[in-house]
Amino acid sequence: MTGVWVNQIVQGILLGGLYAMFALGLSLSAGVMRFINIAHGDLIVLVCFLVLTLTTSLGLSPLVAAAITLPVVFAGGYLLQRLLLQRVLGQHVLPVILVTFGLSIIIQNALQGTYGADTRKVQGGVIEYATIHVAGEINVGVLPLVIFVSAILMVWLLDRLLYRTRIGARIRAVSDDVAAANLIGLPSPHIFALAMGFVGVTIAISAGFMSVWTNFDPTSGPSRLLIAFEAVVLGGLGSLWGTLIGGIILGVAQAVGGQFDAAWQVLAGHIVFLIIFALRPQGLFPRY
Amino acid sequence: MSANPLLKIDGLSVYYGKFRALLDVSIDVGEGEIVSIIGANGAGKSSLLKAIVGQVPKVEGDIRFEGQSLVGRGTPDIVKQGVALVPEGRRLFPSLTVEENRTLGWETGRRGGMSREDIYGFFPVLKERRNQPANQLSGGQQQMVAFGRALLADPKLLLCDEISLGLAPVIIDELYKILPDIRDRGVSILLIEQDIGRSLAVADRFYCMLEGKVNLSGKPDEVSRDDVIKSYFGGHE
Repeated sequence: MTGVWVNQIVQGILLGGLYAMFALGLSLSAGVMRFINIAHGDLIVLVCFLVLTLTTSLGLSPLVAAAITLPVVFAGGYLLQRLLLQRVLGQHVLPVILVTFGLSIIIQNALQGTYGADTRKVQGGVIEYATIHVAGEINVGVLPLVIFVSAILMVWLLDRLLYRTRIGARIRAVSDDVAAANLIGLPSPHIFALAMGFVGVTIAISAGFMSVWTNFDPTSGPSRLLIAFEAVVLGGLGSLWGTLIGGIILGVAQAVGGQFDAAWQVLAGHIVFLIIFALRPQGLFPRY
Repeated sequence: MSANPLLKIDGLSVYYGKFRALLDVSIDVGEGEIVSIIGANGAGKSSLLKAIVGQVPKVEGDIRFEGQSLVGRGTPDIVKQGVALVPEGRRLFPSLTVEENRTLGWETGRRGGMSREDIYGFFPVLKERRNQPANQLSGGQQQMVAFGRALLADPKLLLCDEISLGLAPVIIDELYKILPDIRDRGVSILLIEQDIGRSLAVADRFYCMLEGKVNLSGKPDEVSRDDVIKSYFGGHE
């Protein structure tokens, strides 16, 4: 019997990898750049549909399709920041929330108009069903394992980018004090836009994996946003490793809750979030 | 002062919406000079510096640096030309280390001039704290980092905005002692201060500002202290 529970916890940890991936871009925009992107979940779903189109209409494999989306979404993130978000950034917290909220509605409706309201999934082929038998009742899917390892790799790379490179120092500088950055001659609109390009890369990778692992429809964005938010807040603002831990906690809570009763799965995640949030509102590993 | 000063500001007015912060201000800084701008709070001193680095919304008049107009150009471009600012209140980036803060100056500026080691020579205490976050330093040390950041941009003209603000007198003395050394390295300095005594002691020439206008200028030893005080507080006529 314990084997079943251990298995659920293992599955939860792996699911947490996907959640951490969703949250990583948000961790960068909310935790480091310090603005809230309500359309984060919808952007992930938008890229899922992009992958779907590339795989179905061009017959590409999901891996190739995801690789194609990487530079596209990097450029998209750059332009979104440079042409739209940059105009409202720094005035007040509210305008950015309103603009991204509007963007969220536009994306959902555009997707519904183009693809209809059906639930979709990208066919991943044999990797979807491959599992590794670990011990007793514990089986690990190859795809979730790949996603989990990729999530850890992404956190590590993004953390190094932010805290070990020159562009990372510039991103933190314009996030700290954009007026001071302007005074000393940093090209802050370009730096913010590059940062959003990196957010785009995390969106593209997580969308690539999500489109193969789970179902999605044009209105799936907000629920992804909610999970991403919870992971970022649980982990503590500004801490990418914290976001990974936050995602894992949510994944485990959902998996264990679902073992009690399938209806409890999503709720269990939210309840665990609320309990930890009440006890430690600054998150587990806050950087600021 | 030479016929072709390094910085020549001619009839400069600065607007924030309808509010006019500077009115028809003309100021020169020659090569190798320390020029000081004194004036009370709200006299327009900081607006003048912000106008030079291209950070005010609207200006009239001309700002020429080495004969080229700076008006309408972006700050990154102006800094690359050889103008660096030590901003009021230091404005370091708290989540960056001392070294990262300084390196930003090197990246934004011209290349060459003083090396990192030269600047650690000015401020030895920074070397042992190079990997600490900037906000863990004392006010005086933060001011040194702000100086280092500006100097690493290899400026021909260094703009210093209220460097003594909020610092202990001992620290201020130390910072002011360094200014002539910086000048001797071929960097001209435009210094903005509320502290008349310190500012005039180090300056070759000065301008006094009141309510957005220059109302007195000259060499510190050629103008009587009473005249300076009157101009500073607006007791003229």
